[in-house]
Amino acid sequence: MEKRSPVHMGELLIALALIALGSFVIYDTQSIAEIHSYSQIGPRLFPNLVGAGLAIFGATLGWQAVSGGWRNVPLDQEGHDAPDRMAFVVISAGVLLHMALIGWAGFILASTLLFVVVARGFGSQRPARDLLLGGGIATLVFFIFTVGLNVSLPKGLLGGA
Amino acid sequence: METFDALLAGFAVALTWKNLLLGFVGCMLGTAVGVLPGVGPAVTIALLLPATASFDPTGALIMFAGIYYGAMFGGSTTSILLNTPGESATIITAMEGNLMAKNGRAGPALATSAIGSFVAGTLATLMLSIAAPAVVEIALKFGPAEYFAVMVLAFTTVAAVLGSSAVRGLTALFIGLMIGLIGLDSQTGQARFTFGVPELFDGVDVVVVAVGLFAVGETLYLATYLNRGVDKLETMRGSIWMTLSDWKRSWKPWLRGTALGFPFGAMPAGGAEIPTFLSYAIEKKLTKHPEEFGNGAIEGVAGPEAANNASSTGTMVPLLALGLPTSATAAIILAAFQQWGLQPGPLLFETDPKLVWGLIASMYIGNVILLVLNLPLVGLWVRLLRIPRPLLYAGILIFSTLGAYGLRNSWFDLLLLYVIGLLGFVMRRYDMPVAPVIVGMILGPLAEQQLRRALAISQGDLSVFVTHPISASILGVTALVLIGPSIWKWISSRRDASNDVQAVGYQSAP
Repeated sequence: MEKRSPVHMGELLIALALIALGSFVIYDTQSIAEIHSYSQIGPRLFPNLVGAGLAIFGATLGWQAVSGGWRNVPLDQEGHDAPDRMAFVVISAGVLLHMALIGWAGFILASTLLFVVVARGFGSQRPARDLLLGGGIATLVFFIFTVGLNVSLPKGLLGGA
Repeated sequence: METFDALLAGFAVALTWKNLLLGFVGCMLGTAVGVLPGVGPAVTIALLLPATASFDPTGALIMFAGIYYGAMFGGSTTSILLNTPGESATIITAMEGNLMAKNGRAGPALATSAIGSFVAGTLATLMLSIAAPAVVEIALKFGPAEYFAVMVLAFTTVAAVLGSSAVRGLTALFIGLMIGLIGLDSQTGQARFTFGVPELFDGVDVVVVAVGLFAVGETLYLATYLNRGVDKLETMRGSIWMTLSDWKRSWKPWLRGTALGFPFGAMPAGGAEIPTFLSYAIEKKLTKHPEEFGNGAIEGVAGPEAANNASSTGTMVPLLALGLPTSATAAIILAAFQQWGLQPGPLLFETDPKLVWGLIASMYIGNVILLVLNLPLVGLWVRLLRIPRPLLYAGILIFSTLGAYGLRNSWFDLLLLYVIGLLGFVMRRYDMPVAPVIVGMILGPLAEQQLRRALAISQGDLSVFVTHPISASILGVTALVLIGPSIWKWISSRRDASNDVQAVGYQSAP
């Protein structure tokens, strides 16, 4: 416990984000038209409750963050002092690239690339193996899901005509 | 014996070759994802939802149930050999079982957990067959007020009782409720929180949320924080079979674990954490070999594993009889029911007894399949643990993006998947449970419906919830569950002022 400083920035930021989200939910709820039917309870009640809850719990967490940190957080979590930011960036890039490419390049090519990039993010040093494996898995999965399970997936560049 | 006849008819459904096959596939898949770190039953079922939309619901649900309890069997294998508990309920198995494996007793540890899971699963299914119709009898008297009350109870236990902090659990629950609000209001058809984005009119799909939180978030977390360490896989040496003394030391813990686990699962109190910890504590007290506890005692594996399995079968009681999910996986199974326009609950027992009882019957069969799959074939599953981490997680992401994109071939779902993945990453980093998010988003819209119905009947009078006796007592229990632990802590800290309150709190497994 002694390692923890009195104010925890990350925890405080999350708490503030929660308060903001809760306030926004309440604010946006007011734009929902309240239709008065014979039922007295319209579509606003529940969102108001949810928004209030988010703001209250956010405030509680915010108070905890400035008074010694969130309660009962498991101590000595390995790795938290030395995050591998590069891995985070590489994997994020892989997922977003896949999103941008899938419609145009098709499922097989986009997924193969995703496989190679994510493996790289986890420290793989063998891109050729990853490429072959990724391509194999993506192709197999493509046919299982499109032919076997009737899920529609884009063929993209490999689709021929 | 009305129940007996219904169950017999259920076996006729479950024993058709098609349903047997689907059950078998479910058990295989379940064991595999249970063994593999990084994927669990919730993600697997979510990924299969779109692909099974055209299936016959009975067969698909039999498969999903197989995945659900198959993952329990598989998860213990990983806990014992790798010492990374796949989920909180297997923390104990990961401790005591891994120590047994280190001492060269991996075989008996795997055997006692597989046979224990079988015993517990079968007995718990038997109890489910008896308890579910009884709960249905009660539930038939339920009106909207009672349903809302019981949902509040489920929310509270899922969010506040499990996990290390009630505030963080409730925060997670409310994030889920917020996600559940997005889309068209079911009663007035108005768009809520859609920001004019047409893709959001149908709401956020549970597939995207479950896969984003559990698979994408977990992958990002692991790569960022935990990719340095090398997992140490214990090898299987010697015989898989248990000796006579192992049997003698195991059978009582199995039964006690089952007796503990089932009620915890069956009450809308969800979660296998508490009964496994209780079972461990009891076995430690009752054992004739106290010196072995902390060094790999077989009782410490047999009891908690049985408790874990019995409780997961127990969660089928509120799910089937009340339509009330008390775990992330149960919530996704509920979403599966909804996919075919089915609503589990007392009415389903009357309108579609073949489906309900076929599903229950399939669980007896599934437990036998799983015992066969897990005991002699355990070596096969262990191979899955040798998949290098980069390839495993790269593969997981292919399936994750496939699940999100396959919904309606929209890049927007992939963006949403990534954003929810980021949410999952942050929640994991700051020790917020993610299961309440799933339960909140699935159960939230149903709770809102019941709330509005109840208030429509009472013409806006909020006192209905406390004037109806059933609803009032359920809400009373909820209040007790919510504030009971803090009062207990307060009393015990008063009794022994020098006692550090933190010591009562959560400690991570070593």
